[in-house]
Amino acid sequence: MAEVVLSSLVKEFPGGVRAIDRLDLHIADGEFFALLGPSGCGKTTLLRTIAGLEAPTGGSIEIGGRDVTRVQPGGRDVAMVFQDYALYPHMTVVDNIAYPLKVKRVPRAERHRTAAEAGSSLQLEATMDRRPGQLSGGQQQRVALARAIAYRPKVFLFDEPLSNLDARLRLEARTFLKRLQHELGTTTVYVTHDQSEALALADRMAVMEAGRIRQLGTPVEVFRRPANLFVAGFIGSTPMNLFEATVDGGLRVGRSRLPVPAGVEGQLATGQQVVVGVRPEYAALADHGRPGAIDGTVVLLESLGSAFLVSVEGDGVRAQVTVPEGRQPAVGDQAFVVPDPERLLVYGKDDGELVG
Amino acid sequence: MAGELRRVLARVGFSVFVALAAAFFALPMLWLVFAPFDPVPTLAARPAAPTLANFRDVFENPLVLTSLRNSVLLALYTMALVVAASTLAAYALSRTRLPGRDLLLYVLLLFSSVVSGTAAMVPLFLLVFELGLINTYLGVTLVLTGGLLPAAIFILKDFTDTTPTSYEESARVFGASPFQILRDVVVPLVRPGMAVIAVWSIVNVWSNFLIPFILLRDPDLAPASVVTYSFYTEGGQADLRLLSAFSLLYSVPVVVMYLFVQRRYGFRFYGGIKR
Repeated sequence: MAEVVLSSLVKEFPGGVRAIDRLDLHIADGEFFALLGPSGCGKTTLLRTIAGLEAPTGGSIEIGGRDVTRVQPGGRDVAMVFQDYALYPHMTVVDNIAYPLKVKRVPRAERHRTAAEAGSSLQLEATMDRRPGQLSGGQQQRVALARAIAYRPKVFLFDEPLSNLDARLRLEARTFLKRLQHELGTTTVYVTHDQSEALALADRMAVMEAGRIRQLGTPVEVFRRPANLFVAGFIGSTPMNLFEATVDGGLRVGRSRLPVPAGVEGQLATGQQVVVGVRPEYAALADHGRPGAIDGTVVLLESLGSAFLVSVEGDGVRAQVTVPEGRQPAVGDQAFVVPDPERLLVYGKDDGELVG
Repeated sequence: MAGELRRVLARVGFSVFVALAAAFFALPMLWLVFAPFDPVPTLAARPAAPTLANFRDVFENPLVLTSLRNSVLLALYTMALVVAASTLAAYALSRTRLPGRDLLLYVLLLFSSVVSGTAAMVPLFLLVFELGLINTYLGVTLVLTGGLLPAAIFILKDFTDTTPTSYEESARVFGASPFQILRDVVVPLVRPGMAVIAVWSIVNVWSNFLIPFILLRDPDLAPASVVTYSFYTEGGQADLRLLSAFSLLYSVPVVVMYLFVQRRYGFRFYGGIKR
């Protein structure tokens, strides 16, 4: 068990591309930590640098209180699960799981016993003598997990381990992974570009952009109060409504006026340009006008299963709101979107940072 | 109607062409099947009352069996060296960033195929002579290996290029040493490519005449390809009885090996992971 501490870590590739830009991060012992960001944001490079597969150009890495910045990957006591699982096609499942122990020179009988234990904890008993090529994607993924578990590392490093699974299996694997990590209590760093995965799995998460962390917090914090417009736009399965607004006692959006949320009044000057954000889940739909509502016509209905995403457009402002199924209006109806004033977020228009 | 006729004629013409081309390549093979068992073989491929007399006579020549054994030894030595060196080189070239790497490979390939053994024979002879390796298998093996390596590296590099690096990285994270990674991960993944290189080297060495002919002076060391030459008279007249029988003996091992490897490992001329 171990904590992972990164101090002003820099990774610059030949050619001057800075994949990690002076990054500080403290991942606590036993924590499930997700690194989230769009492709090219440096999250995979960061994971590979923690693993030792990339050498940092600056800063330091500590795992379990030991400085491992210059230590070879094999000496760091970490296990990595790759996106393509990297199962050896010429070895049986049991040999695949036992391979790390073979490298450690654990006697054959003992490593096969450990592999069998790890395999059966992941429901792989029936597949132990098969080759990876004869397994389904979900089974392959579990073999990769079993191999990491059998190694008993201080830290698990996961590089998008669920992205090769189909949607349904991915949800199952996600639940399974979270429970497993909870039972083992092993510090885990999990890279993903899928925000729902990060929100569902992580104890804490970092949203990355261009080699920097744009927000660090629990999934609830990141979802409720995105620290800047980048995170606001990136997080959420339905995109957040972002309205350009002018401060005039309230927040003027087109011809509507939204209330200023509590706690930020003192920090806004009249006439200031801001961006107001509200999630479609944190707004309601009304069929009659009222103060603090954005009015318009329903232009689009999208089914989310148990709810509908309703797009309302009027006076150049487009707002989206989710309504429970059966309560959705018809396209062409006049509608009023009423954001929950408690959940309104105000961002500076020039720096994109959350006000208050 | 005219179009129909033209189509039929075109098909007939094509079939005749294919048949002629096939016959052109098949006739020497047929000769190799019939002539060794013919009491008085000629250059024609014709069946006759079969006899094993030609083989009895050919085995009276003491060089025949030693030469076949010599060919096997030379082929195995060279194959081992080519496979080992090309695997290591292909892996290294595939995994490291080396300025001018691709150019280097193309130049090597170009020189090894364009500047053939014949053109380079005089400097090669001098080199081997200076090294004191004339009349040794080491000298012949080294020269043959040098000629085969560029193409072997080129083919194997394609295999290693298409093997995902995550396989090796995964082993590295678990603490495997470079040697363990090579033995446990890389070699098993490129094994089909190594099998291709092995067979290809053996066939090349087996049929190579010039290099052993020039670098080996002792008849007892000569491989089968060189000994074939001894079934000609001083005047260049071939003794067809002995020559045909020996030719068959010379061909069979290669065919058998090819079938065995094909059955056992299967040839694959491209890389990648078959999941």
